[in-house]
Amino acid sequence: MKYIFLAVSSFLAIVAQMIAGENFVLFNFLDLALLLTAYWAIYRSRTQSLFVGALTGLLLDAALGWHLGYNGFGRTLAAFVIGHSWKRFNTADQPWVRFSIFAAASCINSMSIYLLFWFMQRTASGIFLGASLLQAVITAGVGVALFAAMDTYRRIQTDRAH
Amino acid sequence: MSSELSPRVNGERTVAVLIALLVLQLALLSLQIEKPSGTILFRSWTLAAQAPVLSLSSQAAHGISDLWHRYVWLVGARAENESLRDAVNRLSLLNKAYEQSRLENVRLRRLLALSDPLPFEVLGARVTGRAPSFLANLVTIDRGSRQGVRVDSPVLSGEGIVGRVLLVSADQAQVQLISNPDAAIGVMLEHSRTPGVLSGTGDMLLELNYIGDTNPVAVGEVVLSSGLDGIFPKGMSVGRVVEVARGKGVFQEIRVEPLVDLIHLEEVAVILDPKGHETSSRMP
Repeated sequence: MKYIFLAVSSFLAIVAQMIAGENFVLFNFLDLALLLTAYWAIYRSRTQSLFVGALTGLLLDAALGWHLGYNGFGRTLAAFVIGHSWKRFNTADQPWVRFSIFAAASCINSMSIYLLFWFMQRTASGIFLGASLLQAVITAGVGVALFAAMDTYRRIQTDRAH
Repeated sequence: MSSELSPRVNGERTVAVLIALLVLQLALLSLQIEKPSGTILFRSWTLAAQAPVLSLSSQAAHGISDLWHRYVWLVGARAENESLRDAVNRLSLLNKAYEQSRLENVRLRRLLALSDPLPFEVLGARVTGRAPSFLANLVTIDRGSRQGVRVDSPVLSGEGIVGRVLLVSADQAQVQLISNPDAAIGVMLEHSRTPGVLSGTGDMLLELNYIGDTNPVAVGEVVLSSGLDGIFPKGMSVGRVVEVARGKGVFQEIRVEPLVDLIHLEEVAVILDPKGHETSSRMP
């Protein structure tokens, strides 16, 4: 069941990104798939988050019409960075640490795509790096707010249970 | 599942999975780079699976927008209505004059034994999705193979060429915009008829290549499709020259702005069977 949820949520994140990006330009700079990967890395399992990263990446490649693997590679790395850093650093009530982790993961994803483009002898527009930076900032900002809200919700649920 | 293992074993397993996944994706990439021909099944499946969701969301968004604009937001509609009525009167007079010119054109073309300039069948389509990335320059439309759309079908809007169909499922198609870094069109300059190749860059401006230093090119000149690529019909507007500079070699460096607003595309037209009409001037 959880694997079906994993696949369906990955698919929905990509479709939601396409719909939102079509109607609101700013949504092109919000990486929903990365936030989904972060959710799995933080609240579920780091190993499973690698599969979520790979799957969302492959789906994104398919949606973009790229060769399969560019985003898959980058997002697998990003999932590892989020999972590993979240465990290593003290992230509890530390918005700037969280922001840095999300932004770094987003940048690593974009940089790996840029480098893979270069290795595979495809030209990547210079605008890509600038836009990626903006995407990292927006995604990290939204990620911090979203996960703070989720932490609060979980805390309330735990208190209620006690 | 993962919490049952010790942290060290768990960490080692994560790294092993990471390496395996990365190697797998690199292998997948190199496999496709070596064999770029043909459509990838996984990509077709994804496109087909997206179709109902995208179509539904597009219909809902248009429905809400229509409801708002047609029934709720009617401020100034009366004044606009009157000015439109005036415009219709003026335009209908103009239209009569154009009709005379068109008939004259038909007569002259017949005299010159030229064929009808727009002999192909066109299918209207709505843009339902945009690929979520800056490098993509791809849009999804709500028409597919069931409606006659094929891979490489040219896609147009009122202002000119939009791109070509890259991938088709039953009721959807993915369109590669002319700004895509992988897109290229055989073109010619409107006045001098000098042929060249217009390539996408991933940015807003396109590059016009292979125009020699000796050919005069003016800023503002319109670039038309030449039909030599075997995909786009001859004589369709593509863009306007915005920048001309001397290149390092024998060719000029020319930047072209697309005539179509590729960011705000909503409706497009797909040419269903352009081959055998206006692309006939290409080499066999």
